[in-house]
Amino acid sequence: MAKVYAGDIAGKAVVTIEGTVMGDVDNMIFDVNTGILVDLVIKPDAELNRQKYRVEGKFILVPFSSVCAVRDYIVVDDNRAIKK
Amino acid sequence: MHADITSMLGLDVYTQKGIFVGRVDDAVIDPEQGIVSGLALGNINKELFDHKGKGVVIPYRLVTAIGDIILMRHLTRNGQANREDE
Repeated sequence: MAKVYAGDIAGKAVVTIEGTVMGDVDNMIFDVNTGILVDLVIKPDAELNRQKYRVEGKFILVPFSSVCAVRDYIVVDDNRAIKK
Repeated sequence: MHADITSMLGLDVYTQKGIFVGRVDDAVIDPEQGIVSGLALGNINKELFDHKGKGVVIPYRLVTAIGDIILMRHLTRNGQANREDE
């Protein structure tokens, strides 16, 4: 995967491996010291079951480690995305 | 400390010696490694950079602090960046 601009990722649709639409990327949270991306902030789809994920206000947080692919869509592994 | 990508946008970038570098336009992401690999700067200090393009990308490892402004390491290898010698 090539490097991408954060501005290009913002607004992209997030789908799970199973093909469920989760919502659109709103923001990303990173560690200031290391630059490691911690979470993906997603504006959830109206039909999404938010209870499975970490909810912050009207957004849901998904660990960046669950992201499988970043291209036309952001593909997320649902098993790693749900809160423990 | 954790921060939002969008909270960095528009911040001014200075070196640790107080030289203005540019303003953050965007962040460069390496999705494979899951890191912020660089910052794309616009409105760059023309005295530092000898090229005509609109902006530059600085590696994120040079960034030392993010607050109301962003501080990065002062590179002395680049002759133009080392203003003290002039």
